[in-house]
Amino acid sequence: MGLSSGGGRAPADLRVPIGRGLLSNPVGVASGTFGYGAEYAGLMDLGLLGAIFTKAVTREGRSGNAVPRLVETPAGLLNSIGLANQGVEAFVRDKVPYLSRLPCAVAANIAGSTESEYLHVTGRLEKDGRLWGYEINLSCPNVRSGCLAFGTEPRLVEKLTRKLRRETPKPLIIKLTPNVTDIGVLARAAEAGGADAVSCINTLVGMAVDVKTKRPVLPSVTGGLSGPAIRPVGVAMAYRAAQAVSIPVIGIGGIMSAEDALQYLLAGASAVQIGTGNFVDPAIPARVLEGIREFCRAEGMKSLREIHRWKAGWERDEG
Amino acid sequence: MVQTVNTPFTRSFAEIRENRPLGGAFFRLSFDWGAEWAPAPGQFLTIRVTDGPVPLLRRPFAFSDYSRADRRASVIVKRRGTATDILYRRRPGETVDTIGPRGNRFPIPPDGRTAVLLAGGIGLGPLLYFTRELQGLGRNATLIFGCRSREELPLHGELESCNPVLCTDDGSVGFKGTVVECLEALPGLDPGKTVLYACGPTPMLRAVAAFAGGSGCPCWVSMEQVMGCAVGACMGCAIRVAGGAGYARVCQEGPIFASREVIWD
Repeated sequence: MGLSSGGGRAPADLRVPIGRGLLSNPVGVASGTFGYGAEYAGLMDLGLLGAIFTKAVTREGRSGNAVPRLVETPAGLLNSIGLANQGVEAFVRDKVPYLSRLPCAVAANIAGSTESEYLHVTGRLEKDGRLWGYEINLSCPNVRSGCLAFGTEPRLVEKLTRKLRRETPKPLIIKLTPNVTDIGVLARAAEAGGADAVSCINTLVGMAVDVKTKRPVLPSVTGGLSGPAIRPVGVAMAYRAAQAVSIPVIGIGGIMSAEDALQYLLAGASAVQIGTGNFVDPAIPARVLEGIREFCRAEGMKSLREIHRWKAGWERDEG
Repeated sequence: MVQTVNTPFTRSFAEIRENRPLGGAFFRLSFDWGAEWAPAPGQFLTIRVTDGPVPLLRRPFAFSDYSRADRRASVIVKRRGTATDILYRRRPGETVDTIGPRGNRFPIPPDGRTAVLLAGGIGLGPLLYFTRELQGLGRNATLIFGCRSREELPLHGELESCNPVLCTDDGSVGFKGTVVECLEALPGLDPGKTVLYACGPTPMLRAVAAFAGGSGCPCWVSMEQVMGCAVGACMGCAIRVAGGAGYARVCQEGPIFASREVIWD
């Protein structure tokens, strides 16, 4: 048998360590696009997923922003949901029992308006103890206070991350915003505070105006842009973040295919999340996983970790 | 009280059986649909209209018919943009990527009450389906269909089996005026013995809801909103409702709502 055929070789190890946790594979589903898992259970095998990142959880329930909340743009989706959720107590009571029985890692996405809100929600879920880890949303562009305000200020990112780190030994992931000058600075701040990984990116601030009514389409005026339209931005941001830190980077933004996901991985990400793609085609996560597996086989890789070896080759030459 | 429904749904790549222009800008897309997922009047499905990224999102369409014997379902679509133009060009033998049935159904009127169904333009499909269901059950059902003018009227063949009352804004066919004006002029209408059902543009639904509120007649409306996931996950298709959290998802708690529960602003 030829050396290049890969026949009979053990499949590549696709596991991704995040702090003290381990994802069974690098393909997750992004917060806000997947509800609490159950919504998609009839459309895909949730057990295939590396991780589910839940809809954002806040201390108190939030009813969300004024409607309409969505507008489609070329290859994109502009949203202003406003972190609509039932609050952490209802989350623990109604959603965690189901989520904790799923055969994949589940990270609660946590949002807040104040430092104490983030600490409260994380502490409450840590006390409950049933979920795999936490993704801290420091990047929602659709709420007036908190969140993004934290996420654009490196000093606050580091301070909050450090406090959250004291709340939990579990995987602690900081989700970063692309609406900054240098995402590397924020990634470094998260790492310095003790984060186990950074997710990038959340949505880009965008706006659509209705020329007939001469008003913004969204009552919130601006929203967050997602979908294939933002993928090149996401890949660049994941690349910059990966250059800046040694903790894993989780790439998010416009992934619709295995090739899209591989772009993120080759640029330096260690895992990916599918977001808006789930709305369009719920088979995308399974196809992305299969495509990554096939890539590893074709390249003769023993482990997905080897995927950054190509980057080492071209990164040195970059200006 | 707005309630969440959890009817089972599935994704299927359905074979198109017929794609027929109906006159006006309307066409009817018929496709195979398994009996285990039988759609009820008022329920909808989403269709991914293209494999490419534009238009990106799946589009919701209410079922306009379902035949258990043929295992065939259909939707009546009005051409009004890129997505519907793509669907208009789809041919029999091709498949469409569908997810459904989603959402709740029009409730059957209580015994002794007559159904009056008000369809405006694109709202025709689901009320045509519901009218046929009610007539099949031997119930008294009157369908009022309104559009701007004769040119917008779907071919008569589609409608006549339901014996509809027609109205046009310009009076070129039937009653001259809106469906609500037509409703008000309906001879012998007794709000105490009627249930109203409405599907169409939001201004029309608002007017129907106002009539229902004023007359005390129970009224169900099929609401429309831009949808993201259409499976209850994203909270994108919210509308304002009375009570509870103040919002309800069209894809999950709807699309059929009691008109008095909707906040019409």
